[in-house]
Amino acid sequence: MQPFGLDLDYVAVVVLFCVGLYMLVAKSNLLKKLLGLNVMETAVFAFIVTAGMVEGGDPPIMVAGTSAPFASPIPHAMVLTGIVVAVSVTAVALALIVQIHAHFGTIEIDELKELP
Amino acid sequence: MTGPWAEALPWVIVLPLVGAALTPAVAVRHPRVAGFWAWGVLLVTAVLASGLVAELLARGPFSYELGGWAASYGIELRFDHFSAWVLPLAVLFVVIVPFSWRYLDHVMPDERRPPFYALLLLNAGGMIGFCVTGDLFNLFVFTEVVSLSSYALVAVGGRGLAAFAALKYLFIGAVSSLLMLFATAQLFVLTGSLNMADVSLGLGEIGSGTAVMVAFAAFAVSFMVKAAMFPVHVWLPDAHAIAPSPVSAVLSGMVVKVGIVGMLRIYQIYFGAEVLELGAFNLALVWLGAVSIVMGAFFAIFQDDIKLMLAYSTISNIGYIVLGLGLASPYAVIGASVHVFNHALIKATLFLAAGSIIHQTGFRTLSDLRGIARTMPQTSAAMAIGAVSIVGLPPTAGFVCKWYIALGAFEANQAPFGFALVFGALFIFIYYIRMLNAFYFQKPVHDEVAQASETPWSMRGPVVLLASLCLILGVLGGIPLNFVEPAVLDLLPFWGQ
Repeated sequence: MQPFGLDLDYVAVVVLFCVGLYMLVAKSNLLKKLLGLNVMETAVFAFIVTAGMVEGGDPPIMVAGTSAPFASPIPHAMVLTGIVVAVSVTAVALALIVQIHAHFGTIEIDELKELP
Repeated sequence: MTGPWAEALPWVIVLPLVGAALTPAVAVRHPRVAGFWAWGVLLVTAVLASGLVAELLARGPFSYELGGWAASYGIELRFDHFSAWVLPLAVLFVVIVPFSWRYLDHVMPDERRPPFYALLLLNAGGMIGFCVTGDLFNLFVFTEVVSLSSYALVAVGGRGLAAFAALKYLFIGAVSSLLMLFATAQLFVLTGSLNMADVSLGLGEIGSGTAVMVAFAAFAVSFMVKAAMFPVHVWLPDAHAIAPSPVSAVLSGMVVKVGIVGMLRIYQIYFGAEVLELGAFNLALVWLGAVSIVMGAFFAIFQDDIKLMLAYSTISNIGYIVLGLGLASPYAVIGASVHVFNHALIKATLFLAAGSIIHQTGFRTLSDLRGIARTMPQTSAAMAIGAVSIVGLPPTAGFVCKWYIALGAFEANQAPFGFALVFGALFIFIYYIRMLNAFYFQKPVHDEVAQASETPWSMRGPVVLLASLCLILGVLGGIPLNFVEPAVLDLLPFWGQ
C-alpha cells in the first residue's frame, strides 16, 4: 500500500521509533525510559525485516516445492543478532535500575535529582 | 601474498574474548588469580598484534576470511594502517592491568575480581575486533561488545551513584548504537551487501541520494556520541570520573576512540565510492571540534575533583582530533590520527597517577590534595609530565600532534582555527597549572596527605613507564607520524577540500 506515495511500513517504523524516543526522553521513570528504548529497538528491527521482503518470494528454506525468488535470509540473521544485543542491553539496564532502587529507594529521575 | 603472521588475525579477537569467558573458571578457587590471567592473555594478544603490524609493514594491508567463506558471503577481517591501532591498544592494556591488581583492593571485595577482569578482557577484545573487521554488521556487534562491557565497568566499583552514571551512559550509548544499526541496515538495503569494500563499490554505482545521505548522517551522529563530542558529551564526565581509575584510563583513553576509528572507517567506505561532497560536513566538524576544545577546557577549570577535571579534558582532546579530521589537510589529518594514540597514552598516565594519589590518601579534590608532591614525588612527577604533555608543550607526546594539527589549519587556509587551537591549549594550561600549583607549591591541609607514602611498585611501575613513554614519544614523535602517513594520503584525495 502506498498512500500519498509513501511506503506504509516505513511510515509505521518511523512512528514507532518516534514513540520510543519520546518515552526515552520525556518519561521520568527509569523503567519507562527503558521500555521506550526497547520500542525504538523494535522499530529498527522491523525496518530491517521489511528490507528482506521480496514480492511473492518463498521462505529461503530448501524443501520440495519451493522455487525462486526467495526472501533474503540475511536481514533475519541480522535481526536475530540485534535481538540478542538488545536483550543484553536490557538485562544490564535492569540490573543497574535494581541497584539504583536499592541504594536511593526511588527510580524517578525527578526524585533522584533532588537527592544530595 | 601473505606471510605467516596473517594467520594470527582472527586470534587477536578470539584470544581476549575466550579469555574473558574462561576467567571465572580459572579464578574459581583464588579470585586474585583473575588479574594475572587477564594480564597473561593480553600479553599474548599484544605479541600477536605486533606480529600483525610487522606483517603490515612488510607486505601492506591484508585480509582473512573467517571460516573460509569468501568475502561478501562470509565475514572478512581486514588489517590496514588504521587497524594498527590494535597494537598500542593491547600494549596500554598490558600496562594498565598490573596497576589494577593492588588498586582494586579498596574498590571491591576479592570475589568480584573475576567478573571485573572478564569485563576488561571483553572490552579489549571488542575494541580489537572493531578495528580489524571488514564487515559492517560485525562492526555493530563489536561496538556493542565494547559498549556493554563499558557500561558494566563504570558501575562495577560503586553503588548508587555509579549505577546512575552507568545507566545514563547506557541510555545514550544504546540510542547511538541503534542509529548505527539503522545506518548499517540502510546501506544493506541500498547495496545488498554488508562487506565494507562491496558496500563502497555498490554506493559508487548508485551515486548520491537522500537514502545514502541519511545513512551517512546516522553513522556520523552515532560515532559523535561514542566519541563524546560537544554537544553530545553529557554522558562522559560522570561515567569516567566515577569508574575505578584503571577503568577510567581505559574508557577515556581508548573506548571514546571507537567513535573516531568508526568515523575513519565510514570515510573509507564513502570516499571510495566518491558519492559525497563533504565540504559542509567538514566545516561542521571543524566548528564542533573547536567548540569541544573550548567548552571541555572551560568546564574543566571549574572542577575541584581531579578525575572529573581529567574527564572534561578528554572532551577537549576529542575536539582536537575532530578538528584535525574536519580540516582535511594532510598535516591536520595525520596529526589527528596520531593524537588518537598519543591522547590514549597521556590520559592513561594522568588517570593512573590520579588513581595512585586517590588510593594512597583517600582524597580526590584539589583543595584536599595540596602539597601531595612532598610525600609522593614520583607519582606527582608523572602527573606533571602528563599535564605538560596534554597541554602540548615540547618535548612531549602531546606537542607533536597538536603542532601538526595547527600546521594543518594554516595549510587549509583556516588560520583562525589554528589560533583557536593555540588559545584552547592556553585554556587547558590554566587548569593544569592550578593542579601543579596545588600539588607542588601549597602546604598540606590533611595529615593523610602529609604522611602519605609512595604506592607499591606494581602501581608505581606502570605510571612511571607511561610517563617516560610520553617523553620518549615527544622526542621520537616522527615514527607514528610516518606510519599513518600512507594511509592518510590514500584517503585524502576524496576528502573533499
